[in-house]
Amino acid sequence: MAAPNAQLPPGWVAQWDATHQRHLFIETASGRSQWEHPLQTNSPPLDLLSQSPPPDNASAHHATHTKRRQYAAGQTQAYYGTTEAAGFADAAYGAGAGAAPAQQPGQLFTPGLAAESQFASQQGQPPAAQGGYFQGAEPDYPAPAAYAQPPYVGQQPQAAPQIGQLADQFGQMGINPAAGYSQKPFALYTTNLLTAAPDPRELSRPPPEIRLPPNACISNSPFANCDPSYQRSTLNAIPANNSILSKSKLPFALVITPYRSIQEGDDAVPLVTDTVIARCRRCRSYINPYCQFIDGGNRWKCVLCNYSNETPQLFDWDQTRNVAADRWARAELNHAVVEYVAPTEYMVRPPQPPYYTFLIDVSQAAVQSGMVATATRTILESLDRIPNADDRTKVAIIGFDTALYFFSIAPGAAESTMLVVSDVDDVFLPKPTDLLVNLTEARAGLENLLSRLGEMFQNTHTVGSALGPALQAAFKMISAIGGKIIVLSSSLPSIGTGALKVREDPKVLGTSKESALLQPASNFYKTFAIDCSRSQVSVDMFLFSSGYTDVATLSCLPHYTSGSTFFYPAFNASRSEDAIKFAHEFSEILASPIMLEAVIRVRATKGLRMSGFHGNFFVRSTDLLAMPAVPLDQSYAIEIAIDDPINSSFAVLQTAVLHSTSSGERRIRVLTLALPVTSNISEVFASADQIAIATFLANKAVERSLSSKLEDARDAITNKLTEILGTYKSTMTAAGAGASAQLAVCENLKMLPVLCLGLLKHIGIRQSSQIPSDLRAYAQTLLTTLPSQMLIPYIYPAFYSLHNMPPEAGTIGERGIIMPPSLPPTSERLERHGLFVIEDGQTIFLWVGRDAVPQLVMDVFNLPSYEQLRGGKMTLPLLDNPFSQRVNAIISKIREMRRGPYWPHLYVVKEDGEPPLRLWALSNLIQDRADQLPSYQQYINTVKEKINIGGYT
Amino acid sequence: MGPEGWLFLFSVLLAAGLLFTMVFFIIMFSDLECDYINPIDLCNKLNQFVLPENGAHAFLTLLFLFSGQWTAFLINAPLLAYNANKIRSKNHMYDATEIFRTLGAHKKEGFIKLGFYLITFFYYLYRMIVALIAESD
Repeated sequence: MAAPNAQLPPGWVAQWDATHQRHLFIETASGRSQWEHPLQTNSPPLDLLSQSPPPDNASAHHATHTKRRQYAAGQTQAYYGTTEAAGFADAAYGAGAGAAPAQQPGQLFTPGLAAESQFASQQGQPPAAQGGYFQGAEPDYPAPAAYAQPPYVGQQPQAAPQIGQLADQFGQMGINPAAGYSQKPFALYTTNLLTAAPDPRELSRPPPEIRLPPNACISNSPFANCDPSYQRSTLNAIPANNSILSKSKLPFALVITPYRSIQEGDDAVPLVTDTVIARCRRCRSYINPYCQFIDGGNRWKCVLCNYSNETPQLFDWDQTRNVAADRWARAELNHAVVEYVAPTEYMVRPPQPPYYTFLIDVSQAAVQSGMVATATRTILESLDRIPNADDRTKVAIIGFDTALYFFSIAPGAAESTMLVVSDVDDVFLPKPTDLLVNLTEARAGLENLLSRLGEMFQNTHTVGSALGPALQAAFKMISAIGGKIIVLSSSLPSIGTGALKVREDPKVLGTSKESALLQPASNFYKTFAIDCSRSQVSVDMFLFSSGYTDVATLSCLPHYTSGSTFFYPAFNASRSEDAIKFAHEFSEILASPIMLEAVIRVRATKGLRMSGFHGNFFVRSTDLLAMPAVPLDQSYAIEIAIDDPINSSFAVLQTAVLHSTSSGERRIRVLTLALPVTSNISEVFASADQIAIATFLANKAVERSLSSKLEDARDAITNKLTEILGTYKSTMTAAGAGASAQLAVCENLKMLPVLCLGLLKHIGIRQSSQIPSDLRAYAQTLLTTLPSQMLIPYIYPAFYSLHNMPPEAGTIGERGIIMPPSLPPTSERLERHGLFVIEDGQTIFLWVGRDAVPQLVMDVFNLPSYEQLRGGKMTLPLLDNPFSQRVNAIISKIREMRRGPYWPHLYVVKEDGEPPLRLWALSNLIQDRADQLPSYQQYINTVKEKINIGGYT
Repeated sequence: MGPEGWLFLFSVLLAAGLLFTMVFFIIMFSDLECDYINPIDLCNKLNQFVLPENGAHAFLTLLFLFSGQWTAFLINAPLLAYNANKIRSKNHMYDATEIFRTLGAHKKEGFIKLGFYLITFFYYLYRMIVALIAESD
């Protein structure tokens, strides 16, 4: 029979029913099914439906949004609705759905659509990959900015009548469960990797839908489950016991970014101010939208351990206004991400004020590179932006070369005195007071000092750095309270404790001994980091080098004190690009609000245990992570083990962050993620989140490369991928354990092989004898700290073609500047006359083909011809022509579209320009073959062969 | 009592001491697991005992070597080599930042050493008794 899919209106799919020998027509948006062809029936207005969202959280949330608030018993009734509801549901649906479509023009992952593509791929034709993305003119291209936020954000205000209608629609769904929830239980759609080319757009899709059982959530808020940008799991359906998990070979881990920046369009985290904090008495978890009220609402049952707790009386009483309150309006029962103001029981001392100590290298190298001048200017300009809500913030500035220079500023004075301590063996503070000064009171003195600091050391000839003693001095200064030490260092520490030697040996690079260079050389930094962590001191490292600076050792401090490392190789402030990059990143760090004195604990449903932790923190007890200061947008990965079988139908993972805000309030941030539990291995596969898996594998690979060899790390990645694909083949496809000409994987893991390949080719991991260990170590710190949103482009760079971009790209659309469609990163796409952008979130390459027409060069660079153009770091001129403006708009969009303080450099790369720069740019096109590293096709063929041999076990 | 008797009497006492050190280590590790002690204190405390423990064992082994007790020496030689190798590669100390990741391995090592000291304890006791009986004959 001819596929009826072709004649179907959008949003419908046909499914062949073997028992009835006819097609069943399913509307993907609602899950409604019928035997009649939709065009021949009295169906809802199709033009409205055509764009309606898939049945992911978004639509489910809209539907749930309308449920009346009630206790568990009552809910069931509301859920299944009454028979009348079905009567007018059809009519109501059109209107109801009409409200929905506008908010979600993007074609997101829908099982229905995937079914179609599966159909296509079985005929040897890759699905969307062929036609779609290169046309460019697709208005529904999901802009990367919208990537981390769910489509429903900001769509809250819905008109009341529509809400009612949606409720009816939902009720109707409930009546016919066969057509809705249970009929399509996580169908698994297999694709063949050998024929389907990876499509970068796949990566901007939201993670697989979390299908919680009905009634799991007591709230109908769309925010009742955690946003993936805060917390995401590698598996959106938890295996019921460990044997299923180990059988599937998929890693089970949580990727959390508890302190995520709030960008424009994001909702702020709701704050519970009345200090009524309901926690389970047994497992100490916080009440959340998945707890059930029992006993008429007097008690609540903890969803993690099933213990029945008393509901606080104040849940129903508003203390400030002394009136009865509606407990259903409480933020913690409606939001998965919520922040409590903590009462004094949560404090060991009053919340600390933010203290900042700047350690500025003033040796010759630092002064000559212009680092001191740029840094002091940036601090001066950022003084107003440093968190200082209640005028308690204190700042100290210490200069160091072979001696330490302290600056004492009396409150109110405009002058500062410099005190030199040249005894670096036994560090002491030259003065008990006025070294650490109040930012507000000593403002005049600080401004004066910062503007003069550069001049003071202008003619210095001192070479050497006493970083270790300087750190000890800074530690002495703030250890009583805690705070942040910001180190700006231009040379390798050479004097006093913590002195380091140049240990890089080009002969070792690329050999198995290389990983020793990535491990800390001196124990001082580790033990010092532990002391810092104890005293709530966090260290940020800004490293500027002209030579070797031992990033691997120095990044140890930020690693265990939850700081961040920034590395500026060959920094020279006379190049304005270098100065801008550093000033931008430095001022972002200074201005960002920080969580102080934080501890993080992840609790989970009984049976689950947090077994491994990756990221920048110190593990203080089996499951407690200590972070003296949590910077914005830092990500952590936590492995989870399934110790006991889980009996409930869904499980909850709750992250709690106890911290003090920089404005002096003790707070608890709670992130709750509820996931269904399944005993079906195909559901585990269908709900695996490739982005979270790649993030986790990156963390794992870095750990592996430090504990054994880089080679082992690479092998581990490939072996994991082989295991996953091999298990998928043997359990989910007809081929079983035998050899197969295909390489099957489910639709939602389609990008995993290319992400693994990206990791293998990443500068932090890849096989090469050319990569200096500083660059490797820095890349590895980024791999373990970047949140998924930044990490994915970092391992799988984005690639755009500018010379033939669609007319609207680069102009301002509804969601800001419209980006051109992204291409798969392969040099097949490079054209000789073209202009391309390759970017990984840390660097942007503007590739100019050798046959670029003079007009293009003129338009973009204001130069007469390609020959005049010079490659390298540059700032693109903003010229008075539309193309130049669009290119500039795209570059600036790339720089700001992701979270994080990074400001990528722009390099212009000429196709026949300097080989190192060219090769660097080309190494970002990860689907190509480079040196010994395989191309994507070769890579998946190797994986396929390994699977067919069966050598993956 | 002859020299052999004295030697084994001494080794019995030393083995008992080592036995108690291992028990102490294992108790401390389980304290860490139960969150009764924080990793920093634990490592500071245990690291004081690592070198003395290794030293005492090395001393005992060398004593057997110089007194010509070949069997006893051969029993102890592998552990001596293992300890020496650890010290040489500088990972004999407990690292507070890594302790949770390596806790399983540390516990396993502790139990194996405990078993080893227990067995050698009885072996020395047996050899001491044999030596005493041989003398009184």
